[in-house]
Amino acid sequence: MDDRRRRFEAQALPHLDAAYNLARWLSRSPADADDIVQDAMLRAFRGFDGFRGGDAKAWLLTIVRNCWRSAGAATRRRGHTPIEDENLVDGEADPEEAAIQSGARRRLDTLVAQLPEEFREVLILREMEDMSYREIAEITGAPIGTVMSRLARARASLREIAKDCT
Amino acid sequence: MTCDETLRTQSYLDGELDGAAAQEAERHLQTCAACQALAADTADLSDLLRTATRHRAPDALRGRIGTLLDRERRPARPFWLGAASGAGAMALAASLAIFAILPPSAATLTGAVTDAHARALVADRTIMVASSNHHTVKPWLAAHAGLSPPVTDFASDGFVLTGGRVDEVAGSRAAVMVYRHGNHQIDLFAWPDRGAALPQPGMAHGFRSRFWKSGDLDFAAVSDVDSGAFEKFTALARAQRE
Repeated sequence: MDDRRRRFEAQALPHLDAAYNLARWLSRSPADADDIVQDAMLRAFRGFDGFRGGDAKAWLLTIVRNCWRSAGAATRRRGHTPIEDENLVDGEADPEEAAIQSGARRRLDTLVAQLPEEFREVLILREMEDMSYREIAEITGAPIGTVMSRLARARASLREIAKDCT
Repeated sequence: MTCDETLRTQSYLDGELDGAAAQEAERHLQTCAACQALAADTADLSDLLRTATRHRAPDALRGRIGTLLDRERRPARPFWLGAASGAGAMALAASLAIFAILPPSAATLTGAVTDAHARALVADRTIMVASSNHHTVKPWLAAHAGLSPPVTDFASDGFVLTGGRVDEVAGSRAAVMVYRHGNHQIDLFAWPDRGAALPQPGMAHGFRSRFWKSGDLDFAAVSDVDSGAFEKFTALARAQRE
């Protein structure tokens, strides 16, 4: 394995789960998330010489989002918007506990999946991936002020729909 | 009930403000009922979202990506590398040799612990002894790393001890205590102190790191958790005693 590949594995691959999580929440489909992440990792590797240090996670997630946007344009032309919810349950020790948890988790996942795109992405990036406002602005290509107001509105609408359902 | 300051309060709650701006937001929060309600709601929502699914890349996808990268050919050699032969290359080699014989500098230490953390995450072998019981982890580390750092479970503060492993930091064998916070992992490294200067807290490749000395050991915490949780964890880790 050459040095470039080794550096890529050390810097980008640790963020593969984050990349997949974002792709999965944006596309809401395991099959599309697979394609998006595969495409993104290949683009990231080809463009790796252009990556001048800094935050590898934000860099990779920016590529994932771009891949999703270009895939999204194709999907929208085909006219389908999948919401699949398989694979949501992790292996839990206590089956009864797991059933209760997975039921609540499944409902919550469905609520998050129903949020509008621009709310969903800031919420996932902030609450699951712990990205800063500056990083979210970089990834989504929106000004920081927009990130802040979208995040506030995203939280308010999720709170609102979560209240109705519980 | 509304308040014009909600976006600033939100920034404060998200750990985006520091210094005077943070103090100002904090003061406002103490007197504004609307912002106090926002703070409570935001914390509740954060807790709720911690229970949503954080999807992990399937192994099959991981494997496919490895194969794809294997097939990628090396890009053509940049022209200036060809030009850097002869005297230029000799000078370059000489300057590199000087760096190679220096003891690990503060900058290389940051890289070393971040890389060790990243390597373990990639290889999915972050834990060699899985246990939340410090009575199990501590003797295992003593036997395998030859080091006896304090091992404490901070589960009541939200940092759950999940196990330990042996790793390497800049040529030294290191004991690693592995913690989980929500969906994130925190590695706490400990290795014998050799009087090396320790780096400032920093961020490399998306991972935060913070270093300190205690007794005859050097410590480093590495994670991709948010800055608030990271500060809280390092404060707890630094306060623990043998």
